[in-house]
Amino acid sequence: MSAWRRTVALARKDLLLEWRGRETITAMAVLALLVVLLLGFVLGAEPPRAPAILWVALALAAMLGVARPTQAEVEQQALETLLLYPGSREHLYWGKWAALTVLLTVLLALLLVTLGVLFNVDLWAKLPALFGVGVLGIAGLSAVGTLFAALVIHVRGRELLMPLLLLPVALPVVLGGVRLTEAVLTDAPGGGLWFGMLAVFDILFLLVAPILYEVVMEEA
Amino acid sequence: MRSLSSLVGGAAVILLAAGLYVGLVASPPDAFQGDYVRIMYVHVPSAFVAYLAVGTVFVASILYLWRGREVYDHVAHSAGELAALFTALALAGGMIWGKPVWGTWWTWDARLVTTAILFLIFAGYLLVRELAEDRRRGARLAAVIGIIGALDVPIIHYSVVWFRTLHQPASIVRGDIKMAPPMVTALMINLLAFALLYLYLLLQRVRLERLEAAGAAAGAES
Repeated sequence: MSAWRRTVALARKDLLLEWRGRETITAMAVLALLVVLLLGFVLGAEPPRAPAILWVALALAAMLGVARPTQAEVEQQALETLLLYPGSREHLYWGKWAALTVLLTVLLALLLVTLGVLFNVDLWAKLPALFGVGVLGIAGLSAVGTLFAALVIHVRGRELLMPLLLLPVALPVVLGGVRLTEAVLTDAPGGGLWFGMLAVFDILFLLVAPILYEVVMEEA
Repeated sequence: MRSLSSLVGGAAVILLAAGLYVGLVASPPDAFQGDYVRIMYVHVPSAFVAYLAVGTVFVASILYLWRGREVYDHVAHSAGELAALFTALALAGGMIWGKPVWGTWWTWDARLVTTAILFLIFAGYLLVRELAEDRRRGARLAAVIGIIGALDVPIIHYSVVWFRTLHQPASIVRGDIKMAPPMVTALMINLLAFALLYLYLLLQRVRLERLEAAGAAAGAES
């Protein structure tokens, strides 16, 4: 099987499992909605606050869901089988990364609509740009998240460690996402800088994480 | 190895004493900050050593994953602990200095936030090592976090700097602070002293790590 087909097959399997159960996306969406409601109520739902709340909600919800697809594999004792397939394990990483990116993108779409309605932000005309910004951030978040999801399997406490590991490392994604979303919404300059930063983050970790994934996945 | 360690330790003690003397007695108080400037002679070297330790973790982690030799892991683990220690010291020193000079314990200054995040990353680094299934697994997983964390440091730093400065003027504007020669001397001596102290602690910790590993191996055999 070619590298591409392997990756697609793995991503398809994860997304199909998620589609049948819809556990992860439900949990993430509910948490994200709660964060939006809570922050909107506590801080006040002025439109300028929307970008910050969007990214905080997205990041917190991601903490909850990032480890899920890999964790489900461990619970069903299917990971060993996956690892037994001959060939490089990099495709395993890419498959998981693609599935996670799709999952978080669905969450992003839900969040954008929710914020547009609840915060009265006029984002409908700028939806493609906002979506692009979101996916740019999500790609980096999943790049590190997929690696850490495999990492915490071998650690006691597992998912409990995820926020502590992922949030500090993913901080630039949240900061960059907030400022870039603001720049898109207000047509303010300075977006190029943040676009560059998010792109550097994505490229750097998409290059490094697959290599380190092999280290994490090898049998001790 | 033992004699090298003693040599470095001795030099560190002498330089720390000299730095203490120059910093507390021989250098003048600052025109604006008064005696509070003396905190800087400890704070700046702590921050410097913290970044030195992060760099050590990065290089040692790569070498460990690449070559697989135990000694690189011992260095990475020791430097990881020192990174957590010295980021905490740098934060504490910065806050103690900030209270009288800036009038607040904490500002959302880029360097403060970066250092705090760095401390959290290395807290995670040490936790993963402790909570891993076994020693070897912990070493490899920690190396992964060490590499990711160190690579992330410049990105975190610039994102935090830009997040503040592009949006609102920085709350503290520091002009060109011209330092009097005795102050520069005090800072330089302390930087060197802390670097040597770091090297000494690293050597000692690596030795302890090796003994621990040997003990664990002996325990497993019997």
